[in-house]
Amino acid sequence: MTLWTQKPINGVLLDITGVLYESGNGGGNAINGSISAVLELNKLGIPVRFCTNETQCTRRKLVKKLHELGFSMEESHVFPPIPAMCKILKKRGLRPHTLVSSAAMEDFSEIDCSNPNCVVVGDATTELSYDNLNRAFQMLIAMENPILFSLGKGKYYKDAGELCLDVGCYMKALEYACDIEAEVVGKPSSNFFNAALEDMGVDASETVMIGDDVVNDVGGAQTCGMRGVLVRTGKFRPQDEQHSQVTPDGIVDNLAQAVKLIIESKN
Amino acid sequence: MTSPSKITVLIDLSGTIHVEDKEIEGSISALEKLRKSKINFKFVTNTTKESKRILLQRLTSIGFSIGENEIFTSLTAAHDTLKARELRPFLLIDNKALEDFVDLHKENPNCVVVGLAPDKFSYKCMNEAFKLLLTGAPLIAVHKSRYYKTKAGLALGPGPFISGLEYSSGIKAEIIGKPSAEFFKSAVKEFKSEPKDCYMVGDDVRDDIGGSQAIGMKGLLVRSGKYRPGDENKIDPPPYNVVNNFSEAVEIILTDLIAPSL
Repeated sequence: MTLWTQKPINGVLLDITGVLYESGNGGGNAINGSISAVLELNKLGIPVRFCTNETQCTRRKLVKKLHELGFSMEESHVFPPIPAMCKILKKRGLRPHTLVSSAAMEDFSEIDCSNPNCVVVGDATTELSYDNLNRAFQMLIAMENPILFSLGKGKYYKDAGELCLDVGCYMKALEYACDIEAEVVGKPSSNFFNAALEDMGVDASETVMIGDDVVNDVGGAQTCGMRGVLVRTGKFRPQDEQHSQVTPDGIVDNLAQAVKLIIESKN
Repeated sequence: MTSPSKITVLIDLSGTIHVEDKEIEGSISALEKLRKSKINFKFVTNTTKESKRILLQRLTSIGFSIGENEIFTSLTAAHDTLKARELRPFLLIDNKALEDFVDLHKENPNCVVVGLAPDKFSYKCMNEAFKLLLTGAPLIAVHKSRYYKTKAGLALGPGPFISGLEYSSGIKAEIIGKPSAEFFKSAVKEFKSEPKDCYMVGDDVRDDIGGSQAIGMKGLLVRSGKYRPGDENKIDPPPYNVVNNFSEAVEIILTDLIAPSL
């Protein structure tokens, strides 16, 4: 029996991209065994929430895509950074200049973006041009107390079989340019994980987070008091198993194997 | 009085004696004054947006009389490094500066070179560079300036993009231009001046002043170009002196010559 399943597991947080499915052209493909693994967890009665740093589309579109791939989940059980970001902006009375994917802008629809007093950077592709980054920089440098939010801080992600630059690259760029530190909304921020834990009503010590990002999924969950399990799918690279800062509680080939181990621990 | 030939002054270009096509007032005559004093000088620039030839044309058209051998650019230094190490670069370099690299092989690249290249900092090009870095290719930064001054205000330099690539790839960039110690040393080599007899005049408190002072030179920070109030407090030890512009810097250097302050 593996160590990470020895203590009770009464809640599971799942990363989406690279754990449930591999992104790619035409919406991507479900990872072998992941669809039934989610169903198995539901059958066991273990609450599941989906923690993703996905900001390249709206939450509604993301859930629709997952349903089309064959997954079943409620939209309210999916936790992407933008809704969390909107709550923070409202609470602190901030008006953002957004440098995010245009496909995700709809999720900012109820936010006042006029006369901005902070900058939000998210994962995007063509939107992350020199001109757009320069505009964000010029706004920050003109602020007396520049506030930069980053929707996650991933180094890279996998798309269509290739590793691609993630928002972290651009967060670092703006941090370096303005000599500031960004506030991260999304994984690995503890506040972000805590919102999902609260929604499940399960304590961190009884929850396992499963993801393909050794730092942001596994390390972030561990900082929060959860167990962090790394899958060898998605952006996983062999050197992640010997990461200098993070030692996963468990390493599995894929989500299906993780769920199999959880089921075995229950019997 | 110290002999002028023992002294060397390194001078930054953009933001120190000019901003784009405009002279920073008094710089042309201050340079002539410096030339007459027989003090050695050399322009050291991290300007990587254009080749040395185009840069010289620009300075000449503003009204400066500067010889080609009086300018030491980070592009030249980068080119020499690539050549010596037989590297085939993937160049994130502005089209106007590419002519400085024409003699190098670029097919099947095995290193990434980043200069100031707004047109090349698209997501697509950055991603291409990133993929090359993942194969273990070295990351060579022509320089790592945070931002520079344009007529339209401050604009991002190559530093932020280099910093981002470093973060995502886990590869640390080798910095060729200012503030690298090697760059300052190469620039003064021909004059055989001791570092304590060298001045660096510039508007970048870290790259010009911090970098030159780290090897024992005297940094004169000008309040022109990209200078922002409080910049002098960003480095320790602080600049040797802070002046309003290049012509004030020249006055201080000439005064030191008559009555050395140290």
